[in-house]
Amino acid sequence: MNTLKRHHVSVSGTGGQAMVFVHGFGCDQHMWRLVAPAFEAQYQVVLLDLVGAGGSDLAAYQPARYATLAAHAEDVCEVLQTLHLHEVVFVGHSVSAMIGVLAAIREPARFARLVLVAPSPYYLNEGPYTGGFEPHDIDDLLGAMDINYLGWTAAFAPVVMANPDQPALAAELANSFCRTNPDIARHFADVTFRSDNRADLPHVRTPSLILQSARDLIAPLAVGYYMHEQLPDSDLVVLDTTGHCPHLSAPQATIAAIRAYLRPTSHLPT
Amino acid sequence: MNAEPEDGAPAGHDLRLTQQNAEELYEQAPCGYCSCLPDGTLVKLNQTLLDWLGYTREELVARQGLQQLLTMGGALHFELHGMPLLLLQGYVRELSYELRRKNGTTQAVLLNATLLRDTDGSPLVARLTMFDITARRQYELELLQAKQLADSQREQLAQANAALLENNKLLTRTNADLDTFIYTASHDLRAPITNIDGLLTLLHRQLPPEVRQATAIAHILGLMKTSVDRFMGTIHQLTDIIRLQKSQAPHAETIDLAALLDDICLDLTPQLRAAAVQLTVEVSQCPEVAFAPKHLRSILYNLVSNSIKYRHPDRPPAVVVRCRRHGTTTILEVEDNGLGMSAAQQGKLFGLFQRLHYHVQGSGVGLYMVKRIVENAGGTITVQSQPNVGATFTVALPAQAVSSEEPALQPLE
Repeated sequence: MNTLKRHHVSVSGTGGQAMVFVHGFGCDQHMWRLVAPAFEAQYQVVLLDLVGAGGSDLAAYQPARYATLAAHAEDVCEVLQTLHLHEVVFVGHSVSAMIGVLAAIREPARFARLVLVAPSPYYLNEGPYTGGFEPHDIDDLLGAMDINYLGWTAAFAPVVMANPDQPALAAELANSFCRTNPDIARHFADVTFRSDNRADLPHVRTPSLILQSARDLIAPLAVGYYMHEQLPDSDLVVLDTTGHCPHLSAPQATIAAIRAYLRPTSHLPT
Repeated sequence: MNAEPEDGAPAGHDLRLTQQNAEELYEQAPCGYCSCLPDGTLVKLNQTLLDWLGYTREELVARQGLQQLLTMGGALHFELHGMPLLLLQGYVRELSYELRRKNGTTQAVLLNATLLRDTDGSPLVARLTMFDITARRQYELELLQAKQLADSQREQLAQANAALLENNKLLTRTNADLDTFIYTASHDLRAPITNIDGLLTLLHRQLPPEVRQATAIAHILGLMKTSVDRFMGTIHQLTDIIRLQKSQAPHAETIDLAALLDDICLDLTPQLRAAAVQLTVEVSQCPEVAFAPKHLRSILYNLVSNSIKYRHPDRPPAVVVRCRRHGTTTILEVEDNGLGMSAAQQGKLFGLFQRLHYHVQGSGVGLYMVKRIVENAGGTITVQSQPNVGATFTVALPAQAVSSEEPALQPLE
């Protein structure tokens, strides 16, 4: 299976520069649909699913390979290589914000700007660092996932994967968005919430915007400030929103903040 | 007792049944209701839910979010999966969470939610219903544990299976080695024994007549000749086994069983006469059998000749050959009143070069070959016996055994 198919890549919009949106844990590229279209007039908009999520090739999810976020960062770089993209605006939510950070360190020439929506370099509390969670909280989450996946049936997966854009089908299957194989979801949750990427932050050379939700259970304000301190050449914007998904709960504010950040076009290649 | 309500409504039409106040229906519904803003802030809860939680309305409305009513795992799951889903598709169904009561205890609920949007399409408010599933959750947890147990057992089973496959490969190799050994042995022993046989004949001719005819010498020469003959016989049988193993599957034909038995009896005439055998053939139930003719002949020849060979010295041998059908299976039986054998002896019966009796000539090859023919055809051979009473051999052959994909064996020549 080729790279673009493996990541269920879709490309839309017009513009000399590409804007690449990558979803966070628990959902897929659908979560950008209130935000991404707003940029289609000026950018080439690229949407993708991480391997193991949404319409990606679930069979490609080898737990050993995806034991760290580095493999996902490598995947993102591979998609950009395949599309021959350089100096893109990378928009990553939650865990994919960190995946973007790792990818930008790996191949800096491919990234002009990073927009990090509700990022966290480490979710656990450790010494003076307040990630927000204790290990047993993560175990609790895995428990909640197990009990919610009790009714998961493999029969759903191919339907959703093969017809992600058919609303009629999606309507028949409640919660069909953001649905994936429970074993993969469990493994990805474990990797996401136990990854410590704090040491990577100072190595980023790409300018970045941190979009921080004022009241976010998953990525608390203190984590946003920490990111801002550690990331060289970063801007921090605190959105007056509650919840981990401002791009869904406050799409207009999210769009406005991203636009404002990208506006000084003198930074951008002509 | 007066059944007439005080307001004068007719008996049997209690207004409380039909004119329920919608507000009361909301408050006292047998499920929890609440509404919250897109960020989770609670704006309305019904009394049922408040009673479950142990909070007052004032403690929650506009002060707490839905997430605070859930355990940490549930809140995380809702933030990561439930809320995005609700905002994306406008509803979520059957999310399984635990409410966190004011007193710290929990209550299992199933959560459904619908999103209402403003005229401009932006999310306005989410309406949620929660159902008490305390007993069902218990059952689900047991189910989950059973599933996890089953998963780990399946893994163990897979490992055991892999080990078994490995053992099987080893056995197959050992079997192949054994076949090679038999081949080598029969091949390498054939030349020297043929030489010895020739040299013995030569020696016999070269000896002066007076020496040759001396009683002691003649006796020794006779014994030597007998030994060489037996040796060559064994090698001949080994060669037959090799042929059996290497040959292709022969075709099944429809065989007239009675005619085949007549033919076998003709070959065995000297033995039958010498021992005054009383042979009974009862094959009217299945006069015809579909099998490779030479194989069927080999099976019956070996079984009948064994019955004669291992007869009891105290009584004239009586041998019965029967055939019957059980479903599509053909069952052949050869019963005798001979020496019989103990249970321990029965265990060794079908092994190569296994011999139970040494007072008669034999090589221990016949039954081994019969068993291989029968089993390669997908059939079975069993024996029932009591020492000094007799033995019954039962051969069960499946329908069209030889046309199956099992490799079949070439008959003896």
